[in-house]
Amino acid sequence: MNSNTGSTGSVPVIELRNIHKKYDDLEVLKGIDLVANKGDVIALIGSSGSGKSTLLRCANLLEIPQQGDIIFQGQAVTWGKKKGQRTPSDKNQLQQMRTNLSMVFQQFNLWAHMTVLQNVVEAPITVLKQNPAEANNRGRELLDKVGIGDKCDQFPSQLSGGQQQRAAIARALAMNPAAMLFDEPTSALDPELEAEVVRVIQALALEGRTMIIVTHDMKLAYDVANHVIFLHDGVIVEQGTPDEVFKNTRSPRLQQFLAATGQEG
Amino acid sequence: MSLQYCADPSLLHGWQWLSCYLLTPKHQLFYTSFLVVFALLAITAPVVLLLGFAGAMAKRSSFLPLRWFGSIYTSMVRGVPDVIFFLFVPIALDQLVEYARHKIKCPDITAPVYQGSDFIVCAAAKMPTSNADAWVHQLWGFSLAVIAFSIVFGAFAANTIHGALQAVPHNQLETARAYGMSDSQVFRRVHLPQMWTYALPGLSNLWMILVKATPLLFLLGVEDIVYWARELGGAKTSYFEYPHPDWRLWYFLALLVFYLLLTWLSGKFFARLTDKFSVDKSRSKANSIKPTLIGIGR
Repeated sequence: MNSNTGSTGSVPVIELRNIHKKYDDLEVLKGIDLVANKGDVIALIGSSGSGKSTLLRCANLLEIPQQGDIIFQGQAVTWGKKKGQRTPSDKNQLQQMRTNLSMVFQQFNLWAHMTVLQNVVEAPITVLKQNPAEANNRGRELLDKVGIGDKCDQFPSQLSGGQQQRAAIARALAMNPAAMLFDEPTSALDPELEAEVVRVIQALALEGRTMIIVTHDMKLAYDVANHVIFLHDGVIVEQGTPDEVFKNTRSPRLQQFLAATGQEG
Repeated sequence: MSLQYCADPSLLHGWQWLSCYLLTPKHQLFYTSFLVVFALLAITAPVVLLLGFAGAMAKRSSFLPLRWFGSIYTSMVRGVPDVIFFLFVPIALDQLVEYARHKIKCPDITAPVYQGSDFIVCAAAKMPTSNADAWVHQLWGFSLAVIAFSIVFGAFAANTIHGALQAVPHNQLETARAYGMSDSQVFRRVHLPQMWTYALPGLSNLWMILVKATPLLFLLGVEDIVYWARELGGAKTSYFEYPHPDWRLWYFLALLVFYLLLTWLSGKFFARLTDKFSVDKSRSKANSIKPTLIGIGR
């Protein structure tokens, strides 16, 4: 079912090739390859500091890898230099990528000065130049879809964490993205609130949305992903289908990790 | 505007005397001098805000000399007592303008402008010219005062605004970038609107200080409310139409009440504004919902 090699005629949405990322002397990513084809749900797992969030942030260029290629819908990112640092040279391409890879953050990051609905329609209106009335209608639909249609005119601080994260997912969906990037979407939530967010993510997976999910939640990874990647110390130690990775774990490092998280088997 | 029965003050008693006294032409000048205070505030406040923004942007600039300029401006003004600045700036500006006019209007005079401790320019270079009306002198003094106020308070505002821009949580801006916003869109749509929450307490404080600093006009020779309170309150002998003992206490008490009223009203106004711009709406009075932190776990 999964075709993560990108060679079986499926359409790659985002490809990361030989990604290296360093902070000063600390090498966080040491040559990572990742391909997300249309309809893939990829789970990135690993302990804190393994580089999984950094890898995700490289995909929409919130982090700029010093080395390696990023190919979005067949187009490789063009690089320039600024103050000796590699940086994307084509602003339109950058915008194209970011609007198509909408991100959901651990801390939700809803814009605090806008209502929930304003949060959802902000980027569609200012960046995608959508008609405000239409964007509002669609925003309401999406908030209904994630189950908080009644919270449209509330401010983020008036919502629970689970509601905020669902609003953030609605905001991501409003971009009509080619793929969604989730950066530990449930880590800041207590179990009860976590469940409501997981349900939304599962529903999106069933719709066939392309998603890359960084998570500590092994159950979420097992349930929704079709491909699981285990990162350790900036390299991919093991990857495969959820069954391969969780049921037939090969590497000792992953066995250790799963044992420590209490999710073995 | 004086009342009919005021024709001969020496025959008046009680409230009639008082009403006539309070409507003398000099008192009317006193009342209009309140407008001078309001005019100063009305002109200075927006200029201060503009200078504050300019200073803050200079401090944030990626262009090094501009950044230097911003830092020097704010730290220099911050490190100097206000009163000294208010004395220095008008004199310096005055001399600068007169020196320039001297060079342009009287190119034939070769004698140096600075002769020992004297500052001597030709008559044509005087600001305002010696035959100008009194109100021109007043206006010139007032303008210099506005400039001095603006420079000093602009530096404080620049610090406040710079700090407020820094205080906006990084993740709010990063999220905007992650959704494809350009730098200017991030600034206009997220950074600036959220900045107010952090800037308003400082700016409201600055406004109060500005209001309370307005009597410095007196120091600059502008005929403001302090000048008139002193003039009118001083003891008047029988040589005057309305003789009275030293009433300065009452006049200054009136000013005290005026300033208290003004700052009290300002406080109310800023409380409303802060409420309006509050990022955390649940904390505003308009809502009864219990406060929660923005972004739990931060």
